[in-house]
Amino acid sequence: MNHLLDVRNLAKYFPVRGGLLNRKTADFRAVDGVSFALQEGKTLGLVGESGSGKTTIGKCILRLMEPSAGQILYDGGDITHLKQRDLRRLRSEIQMIYQAPAASLNGRMTVGQIIGEPLWIHESLKGDAARARVLELMHVVGLKDEHYYRYPHEFSGGQQQRIGIARALAVQPRLIVLDEPTSALDVSVQAQILNLLQDLQDQFDLTYLFISHDLGVVRYMCDEVALLYLGKIVEVAATEVIFESPKHPYTQALISAIPEPDPDLQREEIIIRGDLSHSFPQRGCPFAPRCHADKLATCETVPPPLLEVESAHQVACHLHPPVPGLEPA
Amino acid sequence: MACAMCSTRAPDGKAAMSELLNIDDLHLEFHTYDGVVKVLAGVNLQMRRGDVLGLVGETGCGKSMTALSVPRLIPMPPGRITAGRVTFNGEDILSKRESEMEAFRARHVGMIFQDPVTNLNPLFTIREQLVDAVLYQQAQGKKVPGRWRGFSPSVRQLRKEAHERAVELMRLTGIPDGDKRIYDYPHQFSGGMRQRVLIAMALAGDPDLLIADEPTTALDVTIQAQILRLIRSLVAQLGLTVLLITHNLGVVARSCERVAVMYAGRVVEESPVRELFRNPKHPYTRGLIAAVPQKDVHRGGLEGIPGIIPNLINPPAGCRFNPRCEHVMDICRESVPPAIDVGAGHRASCFLYPEDA
Repeated sequence: MNHLLDVRNLAKYFPVRGGLLNRKTADFRAVDGVSFALQEGKTLGLVGESGSGKTTIGKCILRLMEPSAGQILYDGGDITHLKQRDLRRLRSEIQMIYQAPAASLNGRMTVGQIIGEPLWIHESLKGDAARARVLELMHVVGLKDEHYYRYPHEFSGGQQQRIGIARALAVQPRLIVLDEPTSALDVSVQAQILNLLQDLQDQFDLTYLFISHDLGVVRYMCDEVALLYLGKIVEVAATEVIFESPKHPYTQALISAIPEPDPDLQREEIIIRGDLSHSFPQRGCPFAPRCHADKLATCETVPPPLLEVESAHQVACHLHPPVPGLEPA
Repeated sequence: MACAMCSTRAPDGKAAMSELLNIDDLHLEFHTYDGVVKVLAGVNLQMRRGDVLGLVGETGCGKSMTALSVPRLIPMPPGRITAGRVTFNGEDILSKRESEMEAFRARHVGMIFQDPVTNLNPLFTIREQLVDAVLYQQAQGKKVPGRWRGFSPSVRQLRKEAHERAVELMRLTGIPDGDKRIYDYPHQFSGGMRQRVLIAMALAGDPDLLIADEPTTALDVTIQAQILRLIRSLVAQLGLTVLLITHNLGVVARSCERVAVMYAGRVVEESPVRELFRNPKHPYTRGLIAAVPQKDVHRGGLEGIPGIIPNLINPPAGCRFNPRCEHVMDICRESVPPAIDVGAGHRASCFLYPEDA
């Protein structure tokens, strides 16, 4: 299988400034050596708590932010250092849908202008031809003709998100980075939008990078899931594998913390102590201070590498060393 | 120091069963430039001592407004209560004078909110804010001896006791090293810890009722699990009565004994929590449960509720859910369905169920 997107050792550091001359005193490692690959037509979920670096990864892939290190391969080509001119072509291939639908739409533009703008920029389409395409896109996402001349504030959150989706689709992208597309919406509307995204994926053969903190939504949407903790991937596997047999203690805790709407559900509730904190010494496993498992001595001193413990199941934990017998021949 | 709460709140059988809160046919309107928004249209809700009731609904359904009407924190004007009664412990709340309300709030109701950042003053230490809360609650809404009067021996003694009580409250809400961290400022606490501070503050007056308005919405899931566990343990330890407002059905399933589902300013269904999830009656509740991505729902299996919530300036006549309901009948567009007992302490406001069932 060919990979549409291949991210290798991606890192993004932000300078921490301080002292009398406001010089750089340290690096804040928002993303710290992340590698993953995404197959065409599939959905990969990036899951983590706030501050785990998921949005930063999304922005680096679109080159809205410059990565500090690492490589991003799109369709076989390196896009890590593309020049501004070539970026424009890239952006008609990769699009993004944002969390806050109201904030991501220009309040002074009508729906028609918002969806039509990328058509003008990328395809120099205007006039009646553009209008026809915009109306077609509006139908695809479930908006009506009469919405063409309305402004974003006249719509509900769910409808605004539909406008954002239509705008992303306008340039016929192959990869869409969805950054928490439904976390601002009510559940009944969330279900509508998730179903729309799935329909669009089938219809246009789209590839999704789905960023979310909601494991229930991720389980519904994704083929594969990567869990992030403090800028590092701690576990990657197919969705069923992650939810049925999570290996990393953090994944286990996170899954046990999903509030399932089922009062009869019997399960062991793992409650981990403390909270996500970047202020630990950068040695050992980043999760070690909160870990509920029986720790080994190496947990505090050696950072665990991300290793394949079963076929297509990678875990970064000293408690799960790769078992030679389990590896595929 | 003996914990004052534990001693006063020994859940003796009789008091534990008595009715604490009764909201009866509450109507609330807001007057705006666009017209009169009929926010609540006949809300009925009963809570007994020791209840943990979940109030569920989507944005704008009136769940926060229902809760805020108990301590009477709704700004009036523009708000106006046009009909209905709220009784707390047998006392009529709506007829109280404002000065009486202050004492009432201090003694009987504690509240925590969604956003733990904006509810703490960044310029004061946790100690100053918690001690103030304790003193205010002790004075039952009367004037609190100010910091500047701390030279008088009696006031100094009062503040010293309040400080001890504040540390005790921090221990109770699971803040490690409370005696040291009490001198910290809010920004030195994480989101989950700030929420614990707010819970401590709400408990300062040893309240009968704790209103938690989306207490975990701004928090990560692992922290959410911690806070929900804390609330459950407080219920067990102190015999607290909790009204938990949330839009998350999973949170309700985990934490509550009873659930009331609200839609567009009315309670449409009320039931013990197990019964509601096993046997939802109202079409809206069914839709809401089907819309949550659950364990065994696979690609394409999720159902949303078609349409959007109605505009409450011109709400639909009859049942307010009728434009989105798949079982809509003629009668639904004409009259408001009464709450019908469908068995097992389960009531649904829907014409699908015969009234004498």
